[in-house]
Amino acid sequence: MTKPAASQAERRPTDWKSAGMQKRIRRRYAAERRFRMLGAGAVILSAAFLGFLLLTMVAQGWRGFTVTEIALPIDLKVAGLKVERAQLATPAADLALAGAGLEDAVENAAIRAFGAEGGTYLAPSAWLAVREAVKRDPSLLENRAIVHVPAATGFDQALAGDGDAAMEAGVARLRRQGAIARDFNWAFLHESDSTDPVAVGIWGALKGSLLTMAITFLIAFPVGVLSAIYLEEYAPKNRWTDLIEVSINNLAAVPSIIFGLLGLAVFLGTWQIGGHVYGPMLPRSAPLVGGVTLALMIMPVIVIASRNAIKGVPPSIRDAALGIGASPIQVVFHHVLPLAMPGILTGTIIGMARALGETAPLLLIGMRAFIVTAPGGFTDPATVLPVQIFLWSDEVSRGFVEKTSAAILVLLAVLLAMNGLAIYLRNKFETRWQ
Amino acid sequence: MNPFALSFLILGLGLIGWLTARARALRFDRGGAKRLHSLPAQHGWFVAMWTMLPPLLFLVVWSAVTPGLVRQTVLQSPAAAGLSDFAFERDSVLAQAREVARNPFDTEADPLARKLAPVVRDARSRYAWTGAIAAILLAFAGAVFALSRIRADFRARSKVERTLMMGLLVASLIAILTTLGIFASLFWESTRFFGQVPITQFLFGTHWSPQVIDAKNPGASLGAVPLFWGTFFIGAVIAMLVAIPFGLMSAVYLTQYASATTRRWMKPTLEMLAGVPTVVYGYFAALTVAPAVRKLAVALGDQFASSESALAAGLVMGVMIIPFVSSMADDSLAAVPSSMRDGSLAMGATTSETISRVLIPAALPGVVAGVLLAVSRAIGETMIVVMAASGAATITLNPLQSATTVTKQIVDLLTGEAEFDSPKTLAAFALGLTLFVITLLLNIVALRVVKRYREAYD
Repeated sequence: MTKPAASQAERRPTDWKSAGMQKRIRRRYAAERRFRMLGAGAVILSAAFLGFLLLTMVAQGWRGFTVTEIALPIDLKVAGLKVERAQLATPAADLALAGAGLEDAVENAAIRAFGAEGGTYLAPSAWLAVREAVKRDPSLLENRAIVHVPAATGFDQALAGDGDAAMEAGVARLRRQGAIARDFNWAFLHESDSTDPVAVGIWGALKGSLLTMAITFLIAFPVGVLSAIYLEEYAPKNRWTDLIEVSINNLAAVPSIIFGLLGLAVFLGTWQIGGHVYGPMLPRSAPLVGGVTLALMIMPVIVIASRNAIKGVPPSIRDAALGIGASPIQVVFHHVLPLAMPGILTGTIIGMARALGETAPLLLIGMRAFIVTAPGGFTDPATVLPVQIFLWSDEVSRGFVEKTSAAILVLLAVLLAMNGLAIYLRNKFETRWQ
Repeated sequence: MNPFALSFLILGLGLIGWLTARARALRFDRGGAKRLHSLPAQHGWFVAMWTMLPPLLFLVVWSAVTPGLVRQTVLQSPAAAGLSDFAFERDSVLAQAREVARNPFDTEADPLARKLAPVVRDARSRYAWTGAIAAILLAFAGAVFALSRIRADFRARSKVERTLMMGLLVASLIAILTTLGIFASLFWESTRFFGQVPITQFLFGTHWSPQVIDAKNPGASLGAVPLFWGTFFIGAVIAMLVAIPFGLMSAVYLTQYASATTRRWMKPTLEMLAGVPTVVYGYFAALTVAPAVRKLAVALGDQFASSESALAAGLVMGVMIIPFVSSMADDSLAAVPSSMRDGSLAMGATTSETISRVLIPAALPGVVAGVLLAVSRAIGETMIVVMAASGAATITLNPLQSATTVTKQIVDLLTGEAEFDSPKTLAAFALGLTLFVITLLLNIVALRVVKRYREAYD
């Protein structure tokens, strides 16, 4: 047993300057740098992906907000429209102009101005632009004038360098004549779905989203906040309370598509009770059923956020209120709840943002209708913004690509605004308890 | 009468009741020798509740029974004499009549339905008016009853608070009801499905082609193994191969290396990845990533590469999951006691050695739980696979080939035109039940792991 003692006696202090040691240290530092670069790389690549995604959408989507217009020289006197000027001020003007053959007159004007193919340059809705112009200025019926009308999808594609040869030639000719203009596409913001990508708009889907969100908020917010209050402030510690807590935590983790199945089976299914067939409980494809389904989906989010906010209110507030004679209900509704409100609202906005971006459950309950006019109420067939994006992404026509990306930009802008509001609320009203 | 207008009318009546009751209680307060037991506003709430709650509850019940009553009336009307005795045909005509009643310009409807439409409309408006008048009468009756009970010593507060407590309890029971509703509806439809298709054939069958179902043996083309494999392959393999390294390394960098400023800016940026709607990811996957993956496959020598590869969907899904993994790893790294980190650094280990040999092993249970939650999120994800993955059910190990998932098949099965009772539709519910059970199990296991791990350091 002398060997270890001997080696200990021989042991000298580590020579950090020796070549072997220096090499080892260099190697370890290099590994350290590599590891650090790897971490930075992961963060940068993740952020770069987000940037790439947004840039792709902007690059494809900005054209969706613009419309190509053709300056069409038109002489309605030559066309010989049989319309009384007095009629143009009446509500019957639309019918009178259509009956007088305005659509053909516009097409003929295009052929006269741009050659035999001229008619195909104009969008099917081009004559509507002329109709509105005539209604605004009846003197157009007698004079030669230039009216800006929307171009056809194929023409628009050719202008973007992605069309067929005939259209490319037309674009080149009209460009020489200086007859092409681009303008902000107001129609995209106030029109609804259509089969023609030039004529589509997002207003119908946006209104459907608003109606659906209204129902979701009216159900999920009160129910979520009330159950958070109950669980946090009043619930006795027993098996029932545990069951409620477990189901809320589980619901928060259930995939969204399962809520679509729930909506389909419960709200839209038929029930056979005692020989009678009841149901469906709610109308199909309507904001009402979509809103109820999404409310069930985001309720756990609101409950969990509200419970955290209520938990954050210090017990001294409750004790003080109880001490001066408030009842338990008054303690919560007069003191705890107002103090917890910023946190509750933040959680609610985040939940609502999730509901606004949700697609899958709404597909299952039929909110994928082809909606040409904006829904008028909670029980009309409707679609919502994310579903509209999904439907347009399925279209074959190339013109829908930019419209889909433009709709995505609108959706992202709304979501960003909601999340910004949540962050603002949190920073502005959050109380730091000592 | 429009139900929304009616609801507003009742709310208005409630407000009037509130104001009247408070004024009445205040008079007692001033004139009476006795002190009020409850605050005037609590008397107000007592009357407002009696004014609003009974009619609103009545309206809910009434709107549930009205369709049945309308149906009874229509069937008893003389115009219904020509209706068929077969329940199915009769229901179809009645449904069309309801449609015509809503939209009189529907010219394609059955002639009998067009004849019945006015009857439907009349019955509907009659019952709507009956309900509205009854609701308003109920509101007035409730208000009068409640107002008559207001005295100086009336205990309005305890009545109001007891009702409110009931409301709180009912609100918290909705969570249980939803869970029960999900489980019952999935289970009920699935049992109907398993009545037609043996459960073993569904769970272990390897052939999935719901487009061609043999009516005699529907189970032969409803074997879900290819779907389970595709879901696992896309959600738990490809997506995790992206999400785990990126999420973990981001969390490590942001918690251990980055300056406070970088952290303040980059953490919300990464969290934005979780806030982007899944339909946007799906569109991006289908439009940008899938063609690139196809080009890669062609370059690798596969001339007939699918443009709906498992890789495209899995990659994008992985990116979507990064913030989940990252924030779970962040939490569990932060929960490791700093004494362990300090000890390791004091021994001369570099930061990277400390992280990979001390911090990550100590935080491993939390990270594993986070990965399990991320997997459960990934296999329940729908829109990315609906838009970017293929519908062809194949069992393959090649990520460049197509694969399909449970969620995609649910959407495909339910958005076609199919009878509600066909095995095809019911199969979607069986798939939903499987998905529900698996995600639930993953979550339970993950929560167990986290709980046990937290206890280890507390």
